[in-house]
Amino acid sequence: MLAVDLQIAARNLASHRRRNLFLGGALAAVTGLLVLLGALTAGMEAAMTESATTLLTGHVNVGGFFKITSGSAAPLVSDFPKVVEAVEKDVPELDYLTVRGRGWAKAVSPSTSMDLVLAGVEVGREPAFEKVLRITEGRLADLAQPDTVLLFEGQAERLEVRVNDVVTLSAPTARGVNNTADVRVAAIARNVGLLSAFSAFIEADTLRRLYGLNRTTTGAVHLFLRDPRDAPEVASRLRARLGEAGWRVMDPEAQPYWMKLMQTVPSEDWTGQKLDVTTADDEMGQFKQFIFALRAVTVLLGIILMLVVVIGILNALAIAIRERTREIGTLRAIGMQRWKVLWLILLETAMLGIAGTVSGALGATAVALGLNAWGIALPESAQIFLAQERLTFLLDPAAVLLYVLVLTAITVVASVFPARRAARLRPITAMHHIG
Amino acid sequence: MNLARSTPALLAALALLGPPSARALDAAALAKAVAEIDERQRNQGDWKALCYMEQKEKGKTDVVYELLVYRRDEDDKQMFLFTKPKSEAGKGYLRIEKNLWLYDPSTGRWERRTERERIGGTNTRRGDLDESRIVEEYDAKWEADEKLGVYEVHRILLTAKPGVDVAFPVVRLWVDAPTTNVLKRQELALSGRLMRTVYQPRWRKIFSPSKGADVWYPEEIRIYDEIEKGNSTLILIKEIDLRALEANLFTKAWLESKSR
Repeated sequence: MLAVDLQIAARNLASHRRRNLFLGGALAAVTGLLVLLGALTAGMEAAMTESATTLLTGHVNVGGFFKITSGSAAPLVSDFPKVVEAVEKDVPELDYLTVRGRGWAKAVSPSTSMDLVLAGVEVGREPAFEKVLRITEGRLADLAQPDTVLLFEGQAERLEVRVNDVVTLSAPTARGVNNTADVRVAAIARNVGLLSAFSAFIEADTLRRLYGLNRTTTGAVHLFLRDPRDAPEVASRLRARLGEAGWRVMDPEAQPYWMKLMQTVPSEDWTGQKLDVTTADDEMGQFKQFIFALRAVTVLLGIILMLVVVIGILNALAIAIRERTREIGTLRAIGMQRWKVLWLILLETAMLGIAGTVSGALGATAVALGLNAWGIALPESAQIFLAQERLTFLLDPAAVLLYVLVLTAITVVASVFPARRAARLRPITAMHHIG
Repeated sequence: MNLARSTPALLAALALLGPPSARALDAAALAKAVAEIDERQRNQGDWKALCYMEQKEKGKTDVVYELLVYRRDEDDKQMFLFTKPKSEAGKGYLRIEKNLWLYDPSTGRWERRTERERIGGTNTRRGDLDESRIVEEYDAKWEADEKLGVYEVHRILLTAKPGVDVAFPVVRLWVDAPTTNVLKRQELALSGRLMRTVYQPRWRKIFSPSKGADVWYPEEIRIYDEIEKGNSTLILIKEIDLRALEANLFTKAWLESKSR
């Protein structure tokens, strides 16, 4: 029975080819646009997360602040081997951990200068570097040598330096005394999104010397978990366990460490060491807000598009049913029930919806894959907004399927009202209808 | 004006005053010389001066600031009030109990700053506009007696005393032997890297009623950035007034009122 209904619906669709092609095309365009927008947002978020988890944060971080006086603060974790020991004991979900110094310095080359956020790293203990950083000049392994720095392409261009050139880093020590370090550019890496505009890596002990720190002091312990979704639970557990073990632990606050360093921590009335356990989401607070805003814009755009689609469908179906009034009247006169008329019209719309949305999704997928393969380089100004060096669309099959189902459902729902009107027509009135 | 060329010329001009020959300093003589550097600049009262700061930076337009500098030696307070250019007018620094605060009238907020603060974004530090405090802040070591241009000078190395908050941990002075005026100062980072070279070629004196003696001050200070070569700052100190200042002057409220 269903097969017969489907056949009738398909024939009806085919007999009004031009109108249905227009309606299906509109559905396909809207679906395609939504799929592309969603894929672009997902691509941006993935690029931001990737660059952030490479440059700034682990899935969970045990950082902290040391305050010599209540009005000053430095992003330090003293006696970090004990913290590492506690973390390894209390986090069975741990894949691996890295220890990084945190700092800020003015980088001065022979021709110019710029401010850099520095991460002091032991490159041998950074397995993600090999995967994420694409070295364009020099060797990553050379970052293990003392007095070396890894810059990103944009920074190297701005400072007008190349591998083996020397850059002077100038910063106050943790105790507030001016200090400098002359560092050799060991490697230059391709930019990885927005964060690489101002973040650079320096050999860990060189950063310690610049800040006048001993070997048991660092900036943060970054934890990389086997499943990043465990991060909130692990962070919460670590806060409790570190507190029980005698460390003073700060209350959770979703802000990157440098905002706490510049705004909240110096105004708090305490001295000494406090640990701060954060997740990647906390450290990426502002970027997450940006992504949220972008998603909100996507959703808003989607709602507007859907409204346009609903109005279009209502209008098109109203016209279609008006054109077919005599046909419907004849069907009713030869015995077709009202529910059957309603069912046939809804079936037609559903078939049209599926055909339109699926073809739109397939078209958008092909466009996204094509653009990904093409690898369009973005201009520098666009890189900041899109957090990508090259235009990248990240297609999520579940999201694409959701768009197809939702848009088809909306099409079907939008057709209920005109279909009901058609089904309610009296056969004699319908057959006398002229138009 | 080319600072690099004009500074040696100024030093040479001062040399015409005819300095006597310098001699090596033993520990007692060194302590006496260092104490004298501080003593000659100490006012022991209130101080007000009109200052100009000219900042030259590579690839940027030169900027000139006009500011009023206030000091009260009795309780070690200091205040800067920017008056020009218009965009900076009302901005100020206030030093109370060894804490340096910056007031920005555009936001109406006070922020705590350190001794490394670049005053108004120039290469000037707070200490450049303060009286000398070598005995209090540094341990001195005589390095050599030599000639600076035509001047006979003592070269003295200063190392910051533990726990004292200073902009530079190591400073090298070239002190005019007969007058103990500091003609040249090199300021070094903890790493030993030279960060600033400061020339003070013109010294003036003014009688201080509160001290009952003359107070010496550098009328012109030329600061060369040794990290970012090509950047320099010129400070001119004019219109010194040693009369007593209002009692409520060194307060946040007073500084805020100047931009309302």
